Amino acid sequence: MPVLFDNVRKKIDAGALVEADRVHRSVYTDPAIFDLEMERIWGKAWIFVGHESQVADPGAYYSTMIGRQPVLMTRAANGEICVLFNRCAHKGAALVGDRCGKVKEFRCGYHGWRFDLDGRLIGIPLEAGYDGTRFDRRGAEANIARVPGVATYRGFVFARLSGGGPGLADWLGGVASSIDNMVDRAPDGALEVAGGVLRYAHDSNWKFFVENLNDMMHPMVAHQSSSLTGRMVAKRELAPDAPTPSAIEIIAPFTESYSFFDDMGLHCFDNGHSYSGGKTSIHAKYSDIPDYNARMEAVYGAERFREIMSVNRHNTVIYPSVTIKGAIQTMRVVRPVAVDRTIIESWTFRLKGAPDELLRRSILYCNLINSSANLVGPDDQEAYYRQQMGLTTQGNDWVPMHRDFGRDEQIDAGHLYAKGSSDLAFRNQWRAWKDYVCARETQ
Amino acid sequence: MTDDIALQNRVSQFLFHEARLLDERRWEEWSALFLDDGDYWAPATPGQPDPFDHVSLIYEDQLLRKVRIARFSSPVAFSLQPFPRTVHIVSNVIVDRHDAKSGEISAASRFLMVEYRRDAQRFHAGAYAHDLVDEDGVMRIRRKKVDLVNCDGAHESASIYF
Repeated sequence: MPVLFDNVRKKIDAGALVEADRVHRSVYTDPAIFDLEMERIWGKAWIFVGHESQVADPGAYYSTMIGRQPVLMTRAANGEICVLFNRCAHKGAALVGDRCGKVKEFRCGYHGWRFDLDGRLIGIPLEAGYDGTRFDRRGAEANIARVPGVATYRGFVFARLSGGGPGLADWLGGVASSIDNMVDRAPDGALEVAGGVLRYAHDSNWKFFVENLNDMMHPMVAHQSSSLTGRMVAKRELAPDAPTPSAIEIIAPFTESYSFFDDMGLHCFDNGHSYSGGKTSIHAKYSDIPDYNARMEAVYGAERFREIMSVNRHNTVIYPSVTIKGAIQTMRVVRPVAVDRTIIESWTFRLKGAPDELLRRSILYCNLINSSANLVGPDDQEAYYRQQMGLTTQGNDWVPMHRDFGRDEQIDAGHLYAKGSSDLAFRNQWRAWKDYVCARETQ
Repeated sequence: MTDDIALQNRVSQFLFHEARLLDERRWEEWSALFLDDGDYWAPATPGQPDPFDHVSLIYEDQLLRKVRIARFSSPVAFSLQPFPRTVHIVSNVIVDRHDAKSGEISAASRFLMVEYRRDAQRFHAGAYAHDLVDEDGVMRIRRKKVDLVNCDGAHESASIYF
């Protein structure tokens, strides 16, 4: 695929590229803007690292990225979750080359420096050679560097490359309730990452994906070829009284009407976060799993159970790095690689204490919607790619997001509401983008 | 492994025929090679034991095959404009098991699929495992399993069957 970017380089005034109701096309296409984002958004915001179940026992590690920084999530001997830069304190080799595993300690494969699970230096071959030199064996530079901010919200581990700013719970604000609802759906009150991961490469800017999740004007258009075809084929092939297969239950709602998506509604919060859906969503009409309902009622009581299940959200965007679907127990993690390259990882969760059918339904959902070889996702990927291509054109420099501008409803401080078809979620993300990117310039 | 040369030849010809149907976009004929309860499976991780407790790149029964195939001719399938062209090369065919009584055959092979779309040529490679049933001289597919060599890698969209 060709690399798409503007050839004409100019001094960037990032603040001037983002207005309340439109953005300049270069925010998606300019590699210098991408560099700024890595430093000022991905380098400052709480970024999702992993789920604590991925490092269940001491010695378990999980290797990932925060923006462009390779990091390791580890579980130390005392149970603490640490996030370390994946770099030997000696000559800089990445300590871990695979995605996950379990070790007693980290030993660099190059010169054999050994480190504890929390990053502290254990030993160096021929250590006496450093005696009397400027190298301080007990100093910070002898250890694996730790990412300065690490915090967990109900099992979801976030880290921050720079120290300042609000704590994780304050920063999440109203979208924390989407994490709560997914966890509350577990009879045992906890989640576990299970069922593997799908990794989907996109030749496009990360923000197209993050915007699309709460873009409710696209499903009935972009997903017509899969969803409407699915409905048609099921009608043609199945007996009229046959139960609807789960796969069709999953695909069909993507071509619900405009009014259906409007009624789902859109909730937006500070720091770019949002969720769509509330009492209803594309997940609301899935068949019941009777054994699950019985277990939930036994644990929570009938009233609380109904309350938990009445929350039926579509997508929750925890800006910029992770999106979740509590009602179907899936999560997509955003990994920006370059201005026109993004990898999206799709994960599924087991609700602890729930019957296996729930995880199997989440897996079926991911296969059908989030796999790179599925029926639905390629039309999204194509949309992002064509945006990447189209926005290199000259003559129309601005991307509008005027729909229902000025008609948002203030629910309370930091909480805006609009009907589903509003462009509010985009405007809200761009407001946060501008706050992050321009903050340093005004300091 | 069988030393029945005639059977080896029949199985190889069947696999070559299947590959040709995909390349020539004869989707209905291709799908008809499957038993009604036959499935197509491309796991997302090496050694994946089943398609139910772990995500897959594709896991399709007959109904989902019909949806995908119907989508191929949809005028609004954004990501199929332009439509990809493919060449499937099938090789290293080994008949691992043949039960003359039930007609069940297990065949292992290797494949290379070249896919061209919009100025980009891509390569998918891996192993096929075919569970076949030979009934009255007609071979049908119970399961086609596609183990991509990079199944757990980050993939771009792939709409056409491997």
